[in-house]
Amino acid sequence: MSILSRFRSFVYSCIGLGRSKAFSTVAQMDAFEKVLAGNKAYAQHTAKKDPELMKSLAAGQSPEILWIGCADSRIPETTICQCKPGELFVHRNIANVLTPGDANSSSVIEYSVGVLKVKRIIVCGHTKCGGANAAMGDGDLGDTLNSWLAPVRELRRKHIDELSKLPSEDAKANRLAELNVEHSLEILRKNPTVQKAIRERDLKLHGMIYDIPAAELRSMDIPEPKQLWSPPTLHR
Amino acid sequence: MDAPPANEKRISRFLEQSHERIFDNNKKWVEEMKIDDPEFFDKLASGQSPEYLYIGCSDSRIPANQIMGLGPGDVFIHRNIANLVPNTDLSAMSVINYAVRHLHVKHIIVCGHYGCGGIAAAMTPADLGILNPWLRNIRDVYRLHEAELDEITDEKEKNNRLVELNVFEQARNVIKLAAIQQSYAENHYPIVHGWVFDLHDGLLKDLKVDFEKELAGIQKIYNLTK
Ligand SMILES: [Zn+2]
Ligand SMILES: [Zn+2]
Repeated sequence: MSILSRFRSFVYSCIGLGRSKAFSTVAQMDAFEKVLAGNKAYAQHTAKKDPELMKSLAAGQSPEILWIGCADSRIPETTICQCKPGELFVHRNIANVLTPGDANSSSVIEYSVGVLKVKRIIVCGHTKCGGANAAMGDGDLGDTLNSWLAPVRELRRKHIDELSKLPSEDAKANRLAELNVEHSLEILRKNPTVQKAIRERDLKLHGMIYDIPAAELRSMDIPEPKQLWSPPTLHR
Repeated sequence: MDAPPANEKRISRFLEQSHERIFDNNKKWVEEMKIDDPEFFDKLASGQSPEYLYIGCSDSRIPANQIMGLGPGDVFIHRNIANLVPNTDLSAMSVINYAVRHLHVKHIIVCGHYGCGGIAAAMTPADLGILNPWLRNIRDVYRLHEAELDEITDEKEKNNRLVELNVFEQARNVIKLAAIQQSYAENHYPIVHGWVFDLHDGLLKDLKVDFEKELAGIQKIYNLTK
């Protein structure tokens, strides 16, 4: 049973449609209606299963974690971590790139660290990343994406000796994704609001890689000999 | 370098910490998914072809996939403070470009939410430092709709209406882009939608952005089709 059919049967069980009727309806449902039906199911399900959560969410948010990840559709952070609504403040862009001059991510960091006072920041890269893959070459992706991926291409140049020793294109792109996470952590450590929070209230930074084929999160914080990366120096 | 004992201490401290739960949860989720479809993750590993691009607020209470009932692989996602699409913002522009030109998404959803902290911050007369330029975009939305918003006396109502108007304006910002206009002229997609999420009942409200009409209006001045 695919996730889609699983989801549909969930939707129809929620809105009280029998299976046979459900599938004839599905044929007429376009992609857009599907989402609105999915939302009705979510609302009913949440209201029934966890009415207290719904009430407390309406009152405000106090997430403990800021998640900075890739826009890639295969990494729905709250789902893969089985977190509840309210737990992860989320910023997602192409290839989870952070640069000090980027007003978009800088605002997210300022608001979540400075105002909401999150306790941890997770930067999560992933294997099979289209952005990292594209940054392994110099192909013209158009002005916008060329500019956005320039820092990742720069990282590739900086680490070309190490990368060129890796056996496959896949391994190279995956390693570049790791280097990119380390680089983003470095950018975070230089951010004045983050520095202040580390000093005053022990804000923690973590690097992670989500492996798409295995669907598994791996921490870059714990050194394991099998892993390619060397541990970042953050916790010393 | 770390001596082994210090390192062990570090690991055990790490394991004690709350986000250890995230790894356990992740493993549980993988097991559950594989029961339903053992090949699910192999299929995902071969590439993504999402039908939707979702541009929403970073707010922790609005997990995009869950509120839409969508799984991994279904929706490409950008989330920032108050779901803004400023036309000079390289981050948002890159996401939209990639989603339209490389992934060929069919729908783009701009989704705001009532009770948005970003909107409230923009309505606060205070210097918020590095947040000023970002929030300035919201103040500009107010200025565009000043007459209507000034009529509303209740603060909460005023903020909620600004949330809606902000979604409209950000949807317009998406429609102003060359990537959207050119793809639509050629393929009749993507369609741009504006939604608002209500934290009280968990429901999405469709603001019914009339895409064809908006596009025609916008192209009078912002025509980038050729
Ligand atoms: Zn990616
Ligand atoms: Zn918000």
